[in-house]
Amino acid sequence: MRNKRISGNIKAIPFLLPFFVVYVLFTIWPIIKGLQMSFYDWSIIKKIRFIGLENYAQMLHDPDFWASLWHTTLFVLFSTPTMVILALVLALLANKKSKLQAFYRGAYFLPTILSVSVISYLAIFMLQPYSGFINSFLHLIGIHAEPFWMAGPHLAWVSIVGVTLWWTVGFNMILFLAALQDIPDYMYEAAKIDGATRWQLFWNITLPQLIPVGRIILLLQVLASYKIFAQIMLITNGGPGTSTRPIIQYIYQTGFHKYNLGYAATMSYGLFVILLILSILQLKGQTSQGGES
Amino acid sequence: MKRVFVVLLCSIALFSFSTACSTAGSTSESAKGKITLQYWTLFGGGDAEYMQQIVDKFNKTHPNIHVNNMQLDSTQYYTKLVSGVAAGRSPDVAISHITMMPELENLGILSPVDDIINETKVNVKWDDFNQNILKSSIFNGEHYSLPIDTHPFVMFYNKKYLKEAGLLDASGNPIIGKGPDGFLNFLQQLKEKLPDDVAPFSLSNGGDDPYRLWWALYFQQGAEGIVSKDLQRSALDMDKAIKAAQFIKDLYFKQKFIPRNIADFYQMFQTQKAAITMTGVWATGTWASTKGLDFGAMNIPNIFGKQVTWGDSHNLIFPVQKNPDPKKQKAALEFAKFVEENGQMWAQAGHVPANTTNWDKPDFTKLPYRKEYTKVASTVAFPRQTAEFGGIKDFMMEDLDTIWNGSVSPERAFKKLNNQINDLLKNSILK
Repeated sequence: MRNKRISGNIKAIPFLLPFFVVYVLFTIWPIIKGLQMSFYDWSIIKKIRFIGLENYAQMLHDPDFWASLWHTTLFVLFSTPTMVILALVLALLANKKSKLQAFYRGAYFLPTILSVSVISYLAIFMLQPYSGFINSFLHLIGIHAEPFWMAGPHLAWVSIVGVTLWWTVGFNMILFLAALQDIPDYMYEAAKIDGATRWQLFWNITLPQLIPVGRIILLLQVLASYKIFAQIMLITNGGPGTSTRPIIQYIYQTGFHKYNLGYAATMSYGLFVILLILSILQLKGQTSQGGES
Repeated sequence: MKRVFVVLLCSIALFSFSTACSTAGSTSESAKGKITLQYWTLFGGGDAEYMQQIVDKFNKTHPNIHVNNMQLDSTQYYTKLVSGVAAGRSPDVAISHITMMPELENLGILSPVDDIINETKVNVKWDDFNQNILKSSIFNGEHYSLPIDTHPFVMFYNKKYLKEAGLLDASGNPIIGKGPDGFLNFLQQLKEKLPDDVAPFSLSNGGDDPYRLWWALYFQQGAEGIVSKDLQRSALDMDKAIKAAQFIKDLYFKQKFIPRNIADFYQMFQTQKAAITMTGVWATGTWASTKGLDFGAMNIPNIFGKQVTWGDSHNLIFPVQKNPDPKKQKAALEFAKFVEENGQMWAQAGHVPANTTNWDKPDFTKLPYRKEYTKVASTVAFPRQTAEFGGIKDFMMEDLDTIWNGSVSPERAFKKLNNQINDLLKNSILK
């Protein structure tokens, strides 16, 4: 019996090996290498010298690091609640029995399958001043303003959050939709027999049943939002000036434009620690609340 | 148990075989006795077409060499070049801007041309080059490149609109008064006399071109440079920097000669929705092939005293190789010489050939504006040879962008820039 299990495990090795090798080579190894890099003056060409924690000290005093970290945090603060709430609303709409049910589901989810470069160019096309779709539409309905959707420091954020919302909200919606369909019908039936209104059904059955999946969506969304980079790079390139530059773009520029890989690795670890703390806090909150119910 | 072992062995064998294949493929080409050169370029638009024509002509006339022109995206070009060399996959010959070469040299990307010349005995006549450009391609007394051109920042104007506004003289040159007032007055008259949907001046609201104009106006005031002579600290002349920036900012905000945040300012001039624009001479080819566009080109107006403009230069560099092959090096140098000697073809894009022997060729002299450009080329203010220029330029454009969008005052933006340059030079890992 025991022998058989061991031989079974050995048989599994050739199947696991390809993925394991790739995973170690392209994920685990770079993470270790990155930690080593963060202790060195390290250009893109060569390791220069060991400097201990100097890069970390520089990071704490670097206003650009904090500014771009704040930009990313700002994006997380704006995008996370809207993303979760809008996804819930869309899921409820898509779950309603109607002739257009399939259309709703398809339409909300469709942008998610597009690549980031496609949605960015679509966004630029829509948001351009003078000739863009949105401003032309404003002129058509008699509003003769010329808002600069990508060049105004505040409006640029509105545009980026809006575009990201449109692009990725479909994924969260699908998760909510799956959870909605998992709610057993007998609960609603029992409540209806007791004379519950539609609002009471939603408030006392639907919403509490969605809380577990809601927590997972929140966790995933915070992590995803902290990684924002590509659409900003393509739509505003961090501009105007550096007013929309997120932390990942700053890390990228430091590593690949200023060739300071050591410092770039240091900032990556800074971000890593922040994300780790956030995830632990969230998971902790989840288990303590879960213990009560 | 035995079978398990066989499966394991097979998978390992398969894995190592597939990696072996990928390294074997690259050498098969040279087996036929033909040398293949990898040539990396960053050109787009008209530039890309003319460079391809030169490469095609070379491949046709040199049966033993094949040059493979890799057209890379210009925005990430240097990142690709540096990481390519770092990964041991250097191109044999590549394009670099002259302003980026100190950085590349410092990173150890460039091999000295003199060494290759000594080894291959290919004859390069340095005296034929425009010395103003050549000087900037030499570090520590060594040649690191063959410059192929200069591309200064110039002003283009729509002849039809200027004529309508009465701003062209008898010989067809724009009438622009002296100094800042003269230029503003010129634009004011355009604004008054042009149709409502035609702007006096078309320029982007951020990025390269307003930066280039600022550079020109900063140096027109006789500024020394951006970094100090010893390359250790910022030498930004605050008053001159602010004066130049304020002048440009007013064109957007105060006099409103330039519409703000134009999506594509080239297109605006091309479709005759603007009377003048300013950009590099490389746009000449594009304008010339636009039907119905009657345009002229001239030096940037002398607004602040000295006739100076922004400019850069394309150079052919020879990135360091893991295993240098003298045959390939010789072929690469021959190709570089060929590009030099066919400067009249490259000039069709608008550039001024760096090899002055091209200047007398009929194919060059028959092209319009180019005679003017050769004069402009000598008024270019090149930056000092600091390895951090790439980083400094990123900062300059970021900070200038905040001026152009009205969110930061010129005083504050340059104070920030000054600190950024000093910090960058102090913490530089390029030493």
